[in-house]
Amino acid sequence: MLPQKRVKNSQAPDRTSQVRNTLQTSLSAWKVKQKPSDSKINWKQNSPVEAHEHVDDTLQVAVEYFEKGPIKTSRSKDKILEKHLETVENVAWKNGLAPEAIDILLNVALSGRFGNAVNTRLLKCMIPTTLISEGSVVKAVSWLCVGKCSGNTKVLFYRWLVAMFDFIDHKEQINLLYGFFFASLQDDALCPYVCHLLYLLTKKDNVKPFRVRKLLDLQAKMGMQPHLQALLSLYKFFAPALISVSLPARKKIYFKNSKDLWDSAVLAVRLRNHGHFSEPLKLTLSPADLRPLKRKWNSHSVIPGLKSGSYAKGCGKKEMSLSDCLSCNRSLPLEQLQSFPQLLQNIHCLELPSQMGSVLNNSLLLHYMNCVTDESLLLRLYHWLSQTLQEECIWYKVNDYEHGEEFTNFLDTIIRAECFLQEGFYSCEAFLYKSIPLWDGFCCRSQFLQLVSWIPFSSFSEVKPLLFDHLAQLFFTSTIYFKCSVLQSLKELLQNWLLGLSMDVYMKPTTSSPLETTLGGSMNSVSTLIHYVGWLSTTALRLESNSTFLLHFILDFYEKVCDIYINHDLPLVVLFPPGIFYSSLLSLDTSVLNQLCYIIHRYHKNLVAAKKNELLQKAKSEFSFSSKTCEQFNHYLKTMVGCLWTSKPFEKGIYIDPKILEKTGILKYKNSLNIVHHPSLLSYAASFVLQESPEERTVNMSSIQGKKWSCYLDYLFSEGLQGLKFFIRSSIHHSSHQINRIEHM
Amino acid sequence: MSVLRPLDKLPGLNIATILLVGAEDALLQQLADSMLKEDCASELRVHLAKSLPLPSSVTRPRIDLVVFVINLHSKYSLQNVEESLRHVDASFFLGKVCFLATGAGRDSHCSVHRNTVGKLAHTYRSPLLFCDLEVDTFRASLAQRLVRMLQVCAGHVPGVSALNLLSLLRSSESPPPEEL
Repeated sequence: MLPQKRVKNSQAPDRTSQVRNTLQTSLSAWKVKQKPSDSKINWKQNSPVEAHEHVDDTLQVAVEYFEKGPIKTSRSKDKILEKHLETVENVAWKNGLAPEAIDILLNVALSGRFGNAVNTRLLKCMIPTTLISEGSVVKAVSWLCVGKCSGNTKVLFYRWLVAMFDFIDHKEQINLLYGFFFASLQDDALCPYVCHLLYLLTKKDNVKPFRVRKLLDLQAKMGMQPHLQALLSLYKFFAPALISVSLPARKKIYFKNSKDLWDSAVLAVRLRNHGHFSEPLKLTLSPADLRPLKRKWNSHSVIPGLKSGSYAKGCGKKEMSLSDCLSCNRSLPLEQLQSFPQLLQNIHCLELPSQMGSVLNNSLLLHYMNCVTDESLLLRLYHWLSQTLQEECIWYKVNDYEHGEEFTNFLDTIIRAECFLQEGFYSCEAFLYKSIPLWDGFCCRSQFLQLVSWIPFSSFSEVKPLLFDHLAQLFFTSTIYFKCSVLQSLKELLQNWLLGLSMDVYMKPTTSSPLETTLGGSMNSVSTLIHYVGWLSTTALRLESNSTFLLHFILDFYEKVCDIYINHDLPLVVLFPPGIFYSSLLSLDTSVLNQLCYIIHRYHKNLVAAKKNELLQKAKSEFSFSSKTCEQFNHYLKTMVGCLWTSKPFEKGIYIDPKILEKTGILKYKNSLNIVHHPSLLSYAASFVLQESPEERTVNMSSIQGKKWSCYLDYLFSEGLQGLKFFIRSSIHHSSHQINRIEHM
Repeated sequence: MSVLRPLDKLPGLNIATILLVGAEDALLQQLADSMLKEDCASELRVHLAKSLPLPSSVTRPRIDLVVFVINLHSKYSLQNVEESLRHVDASFFLGKVCFLATGAGRDSHCSVHRNTVGKLAHTYRSPLLFCDLEVDTFRASLAQRLVRMLQVCAGHVPGVSALNLLSLLRSSESPPPEEL
């Protein structure tokens, strides 16, 4: 028995010392600076085993000392007390305390055996190595009832509880004490912290009418306190029927951060719990690649690792086999969840991790989150996300901007989770609204814009002042590349909204979302978004002097827009503004013209489908397309056919007085925009003529006529101008050169 | 000349001049340096001033854009700008003035609330930008934006005028947002 233990002992510290070594060398100076206590206890690096044992011993002595209580007779009492206290503090801040030590010391601190000052110091250093056992917390709470500790100690205890909440292994028994915590709201000094604790603890079953009444009473007595509001809004979320008071819809920060005392400690615990995951993981169905190959010890991750309480207990004993786990009636430890079928088998008895943030890295758990009905899980995740986003965001901590890369990785992970779930997180939305006025448009650009594209569907008029007004300010003053990225992300936003809406239409025909009660309202919001992007694009084209590059991104957006009716089955057709139409029609770039032709072709298809549908179900059609849309489309179509095909520009569609055109001095303006002479197609025409008659000295474009015209068309199509092909096939009858326009009624 | 007027001088050929007004010399200097590093078709001139009015004895080129820099960590900086604003001709506010608030990132250090500056900018119908000038990357990206604005204000971007840009940058007719 003994040698075995010995081996274990010498191995374990060996590894930790290695870790510590790399940590100390590569973690730059900031970490040392943060914790001055580090320098005091500089363990001898050459004999880590001895050092480790030595520490263990002194800590044990210290804990025992505290457990026994102060020795009344000794004169040097203060000195010994001080020495032991320092030992505990040092170890706690350095490596954290084991659950057993915390259990004992927490008891000591709250039982009031020592003075107030000692209690405070003890509480401040209750930092777990990895976890805190639930039992210790319950025992500690029981001391609160005895009334032996002062108000300050109580406050400190609650703050500690909130800060360490994520590290407590289980929460069921603590939840049973809900009533007790709730009663502590009476105490004015405790109220904010208890509120925060309750906010973290509340489940749906905890919301009872009598509690709601009590909370409302408190609010009436104390006024609109942010912490009470937070709790009330949570209650309202769980039981909307019980609370009729209106609460401010979007309050960003409810609680002052109680973690500040333990900031560096919490960071260290996270690091210990989980030093890897520095690089964001790719989400796949199987979590086989959960551990990245390269472990970087020198950077900590913001996202905690996966850890369920029961596993932590089990791993000290013999490794349990999976079948053991499955057969017994208790929950499945998350660490053993490996595959999708396994998730399906155990979905009823999964116990979610003690730190919700870890879900983000695990695709199986994201699946679970997606289908579980317990809102408190989502709330926990959102709460954690908003806190972390706020804390980690680089431009809130100007002195500390080396963290940039970590923050970027963190955002990447969030975005991956959002893509995986195909839905945006509410906390990210709130974070965007709060921080976009301060954004410089440069750092984390791609991440920020991707977050924009995942904003959950809401009324555009509501989002505009919070987000788009600020984005527009950046948009107009930044480079063309920024403009393109914004348009790209707005395209994705539109697509996400449309996907969500078309799902909603199938699932529940009348009430699609709480914000927009009717489909008409939602469509209105989408069409305002499209019009807004139209406005942005037109202005951007003017600012960037009709750049082709920008035009590509704009037309990409409209490729989504033109197909809404057919692709998403939503009753909406919005045309592009004339500024974009004419810029693309007269562009010098072939691909822009080709894309325009494709878009016009798709608009045509969509409008025809919409018309047909309207005729079929005229009685109950509630969304009629305005004849204005059709009129404008026909105008565009006539202009295009006039320019490209019939060589009669400026007669139908856009009209320019012939006298003015004469003044320009161009004689053959009439055919100068047809598919032969159009500036963007001229080179195709030239190479076509050369191909036909290679020995010809002068290239005569006008020779492309009659039969040669259709050969030329085939040549163009073979060169990959598919958009043009679609457009000509669908809009022009070859025989009569007739425009296939839409008849409006 | 105690009041600064936008059109009392002829523009120089291909010259765009910006005036940075703020109490913190060092920051302005750094910002000016970053702006001059920017690649730009026009010839840039950057003038710095602690406050307005400018001394009348010196000859200077026509000023195309005035940027008032307010450090949110110092009340004096705000007062200084408020005093200086009195020496600017009203026609300057047709697109040739912009406010820049620095230090908004560290909320706890702020002695001037963001909304106060927001209201000030709204009163003068001018755009308000936020940037922490201490950080190099942030400063560089802001410098880039300012240069673009300056080019428009100097009339070097065809088809866009200063007033036009102003109408684009002013978020909406609504009053500044109340505390979120």
